[in-house]
Amino acid sequence: MDQERRGQWLRGVLDVCVLALLARRESYGYELAQALDRAGLGQIQGGTLYPVLLRLQRTGLVAAHWREGEAGPARKYYRLTPSGEEAVRRLSTEWRAFAGRVDALLMEEVTSP
Amino acid sequence: MIDERWLQALGQELARHRLTPEMARHVVAEAAAHLRDSGQPALRAFGTPQRYAAAVAESLASRHHPARRPPGRVRLRASQITKRYGRRTVLRPTDLTVRAGEVAAIVGANGCGKSTFLRICAGLLSPDSGEVVVDGVLGYCPQDGGTYDFLLPEEHFVLVGAGRGLDRARSRRLGRADAATLQWEPAGGVQARHLSGGTRQKLNLVMAALGDPDVLLLDEPYQGFDRGTYIDFWQHVWRWRDEGRAIVVVTHLLNQLDQVDQVLDLTPGSREVAA
Repeated sequence: MDQERRGQWLRGVLDVCVLALLARRESYGYELAQALDRAGLGQIQGGTLYPVLLRLQRTGLVAAHWREGEAGPARKYYRLTPSGEEAVRRLSTEWRAFAGRVDALLMEEVTSP
Repeated sequence: MIDERWLQALGQELARHRLTPEMARHVVAEAAAHLRDSGQPALRAFGTPQRYAAAVAESLASRHHPARRPPGRVRLRASQITKRYGRRTVLRPTDLTVRAGEVAAIVGANGCGKSTFLRICAGLLSPDSGEVVVDGVLGYCPQDGGTYDFLLPEEHFVLVGAGRGLDRARSRRLGRADAATLQWEPAGGVQARHLSGGTRQKLNLVMAALGDPDVLLLDEPYQGFDRGTYIDFWQHVWRWRDEGRAIVVVTHLLNQLDQVDQVLDLTPGSREVAA
């Protein structure tokens, strides 16, 4: 897929994906980037990811605290707040509805004569 | 390898965006941890410090501009100002009213009378007709000139400070502090004539703002500034505004215009004030 379109699509859902990952367990930026990569969304650069995390923190959907790693530097860990948990539930329902409509439309397009 | 210089530049850029020192430290520390974990070069992971700092600042800013104090009393009122040089009409009847806590920008093509209008507002030039009323102490920063070749920067501070009722020590201290916020440290023993053009403009700007005048008239004061100092300059403008000063800036750079309170376009035929 061309990179520009991938970037456009990702911009719309990156915060939702990050919230979904944090719903599993608390995590820090680089670990989230790796998880997104493993999930097949491709490499998300720090310059894209951290502003999203900061916005989620500002709007109160995630909380953050610093913790020393076993080895290496302290890391900023993010976890969902109660309103973040509520947002994940609402957004994933909304996303499935939206993506379903796009799917249905594309199906119709390719299967119609 | 961690790119210390990139991280340091990021810290400076974040300060320019007025993040608190604590917040800036966290953002830098988080970027440093990411670079260590990923082993990526900073430019690849985050882009330039300028762009990343801007993205961070944007995600921290609320979508709505913070409520500003309503503008205060009228500090500058110029009414029906006209000026001719010989047969050439430089200014057709021009009005401008600026209240405390407002920024007005004067724009227009070269030679349309921007500097003339500002000099009339400053009382340095008489209009052919019309009236200027200033309420309070006025500071004026010219486009060029305005400094004394054989005086040291500190002697400039003392001179201007004396006119505004400040003693020598206080003038020097305030001048040095203001200079520092423009990334300038006046070295001892360098006369104004030996300063670079950009540094002379910093000197002009510091003089204009010394002692917190109520009205600031700034005539393209950032010529010769590098990009960082240019941003610092606008940060000063917003701070002065928030402190309740009335500010008029002559500018040909339009990218700040969406943030000012009014724009006076002196280009012939386009005379209107946009809010």
